[in-house]
Amino acid sequence: MNIIVLNCGSSSIKYQLFDMPSKKVLVKGLVEKIGLKGSAIKLQREGKDDTKLTGEILDHQQGIEFLLGILISKEYGVINSLDEINAVGHRVVHAGEEYSGSIMITNEVIGALERSTELAPLHNPPNLKGIYAMTTLLPDIPQVGVFDTAFHQTMPEHVYLYAIPYVLYEKYRIRRYGFHGTSHKYVSARACELLKLDIKKQKIITCHLGNGSSITAIKNGKSYDTSMGMTPTEGLVMGTRTGDIDPGALLHFAEKEDLSIEYTRTLINKFSGLQGVSGVSSDMRDLENAAAEGNHRAQLALDMFAYRVKKYIGAYAAALEGADMLVFTGGIGENDTETRKNILQGLEFMGIELDPEKMDVRGEEIILSTPESKVTVLVVPTDEELMIAKDAYEIISAL
Amino acid sequence: MNSQLSKFSLGKELTPKGKIQTVGIIGCGTVGQQVVLQVASYGMDVIFLDVSKERIKQIFVDLELQLDKIINHWGITASEKRLILSRIKGTMYYTDFSKCDIVIETISSRQRGTLIELRREIFKKVENVVRKDTIICSSLSTLMISDLAIALKIRDRAVGVHFIEPVDKTKIIEVMRCMSTSVKTLETITRFARMINKRAVKIHESPGNISTRILLPVFNEACEVLMEGVASVKDIDDTMKEIMGYHVGPFELADRIGLDKILKYMDNLYAEYGERKYKASPILKRLVRANFVGKYVGKGFYNYEGDKPVSNTISCAIIK
Repeated sequence: MNIIVLNCGSSSIKYQLFDMPSKKVLVKGLVEKIGLKGSAIKLQREGKDDTKLTGEILDHQQGIEFLLGILISKEYGVINSLDEINAVGHRVVHAGEEYSGSIMITNEVIGALERSTELAPLHNPPNLKGIYAMTTLLPDIPQVGVFDTAFHQTMPEHVYLYAIPYVLYEKYRIRRYGFHGTSHKYVSARACELLKLDIKKQKIITCHLGNGSSITAIKNGKSYDTSMGMTPTEGLVMGTRTGDIDPGALLHFAEKEDLSIEYTRTLINKFSGLQGVSGVSSDMRDLENAAAEGNHRAQLALDMFAYRVKKYIGAYAAALEGADMLVFTGGIGENDTETRKNILQGLEFMGIELDPEKMDVRGEEIILSTPESKVTVLVVPTDEELMIAKDAYEIISAL
Repeated sequence: MNSQLSKFSLGKELTPKGKIQTVGIIGCGTVGQQVVLQVASYGMDVIFLDVSKERIKQIFVDLELQLDKIINHWGITASEKRLILSRIKGTMYYTDFSKCDIVIETISSRQRGTLIELRREIFKKVENVVRKDTIICSSLSTLMISDLAIALKIRDRAVGVHFIEPVDKTKIIEVMRCMSTSVKTLETITRFARMINKRAVKIHESPGNISTRILLPVFNEACEVLMEGVASVKDIDDTMKEIMGYHVGPFELADRIGLDKILKYMDNLYAEYGERKYKASPILKRLVRANFVGKYVGKGFYNYEGDKPVSNTISCAIIK
């Protein structure tokens, strides 16, 4: 069964075509700069050179149409006809309180997602565009929605509520939802698979560290707490987002700088975090280079990042009343060995014992801790697309 | 660009009918520039027409300055600025409007008089180059769209739009329909308003629309109160701010719009309705004669330092 997975952003679409259940990737790549100058479709196929095809792409639907045309073409095709695509899996950021698992997309589901747009005004509209486009282009093929928020729907009430007047929760569903759910779910399950342990008996802390970062406490296979909140701005220090901040401080600078709500939103999401503190970049590699050359604020940004992750690890170990595993994933979590070391430094009191020989390994599944370590520390590269394909496969197979 | 992608088309209907992709703007003064930025910020391409190469160059300098100001207030990032500017083109030729879905005339309204003939001429030139279904609008506050629609061969595409300054902050556009405006035109312009994050308030054409018509008598009355020596410019403004829930009082608002513009609106509405409430106050005329025409020259009812009013230019006689 072939399943195409789409992750639609505001001006790009990440895609992968899987053969399931073999998990083989037939083709993957990116539709980029939709509606902008220099739009193109990139393809990666096993055993073949990477390809980039350029041309005007006006909107998501046109981008997906060209992509489908390429998949069945003689020059670059991997399938003979569109009938060989059996299902579509969509990454959808916010499903509000509506769904706690992946689901077949029906008109009713589309309606619910449109209602959730208010909670994720930046992310849900492009996700919906992908769904609308596929509905038009391949009307007879089932589509499955896999939601970033779904995994965290198991958080208990005392964890997901904010300490604000309860009526605001009742009126507007103001609460913590959490994101990156697909990734946290995947890496925790994969870690247990690697260690041959039953996830239902484990206390796991998963750190998804990338341009957007979050950390999740998982108890018996279920999300118990996570650092992102109603929006992805809460929690860790990120590339350009503040993470946790005193709402009083926010009101104060908004008043001082005479900022509208819209501008305040931009400030905390696009001008803050590593970029805002360092004034150099939101990219860890740039910051490490600048810090090596003696740039104090670049070093400061790196220190703040690592400190905040460490603080959350401590908090979640307390929340879970212990930890059996600590998993790193995401661009930074998988590759940035320095940041990983900074985070893990001084955690011996928790029973963490690290194997110094493994600390510099990048980008692969590896156990960083010694066999004696009370907490197993691992790196598991995330594969959200595969997770989406798996969910879609399970749902379609059960039909 | 040589497209490698088009041959992979599946031949499906690509662009939804009535999609708004490109907007033309004629006359790029204060309002025109704000509209250009607003439209480009929401992802559409904009072509603006102005009289000379130098003027077009200057407009790009002005647009950049405005975007830098927003960046300094954390409103957009530097890469978003580049993206917005990449969607904007300047031209001296009407023929460049051929791809436009909507064309909006926003020529300067600072000069006294209605410029009706000039606007009609513009409408004709636009109609000669655009598609049959392109909507042609004029940004009007005291004029009537009917007076311009008659210059067109296809009149159902004409509609009036009034952008209220500051265009990026106000959430409303007044849309004026005349007898000939079609339902389809109204629907498209309503959708356009939604695309730039505004609500179209649809009205039957009437000089002054809602905003200008109600604003001018309030402003005149404020001038009366000032002339009688009842209170100072600042006290009148502060009181009205509180009572009406406005961000600015009538004098600061008039300074922001431009006293020359206000005077012109008064003339037009007085000519239309013949009512005393629209007759320009002597204070207003005196300030305009002295070229104290508002914030954009640094002097109006207030003296300005940067964006902030710092002192009154006019004080009343009785209060000590």
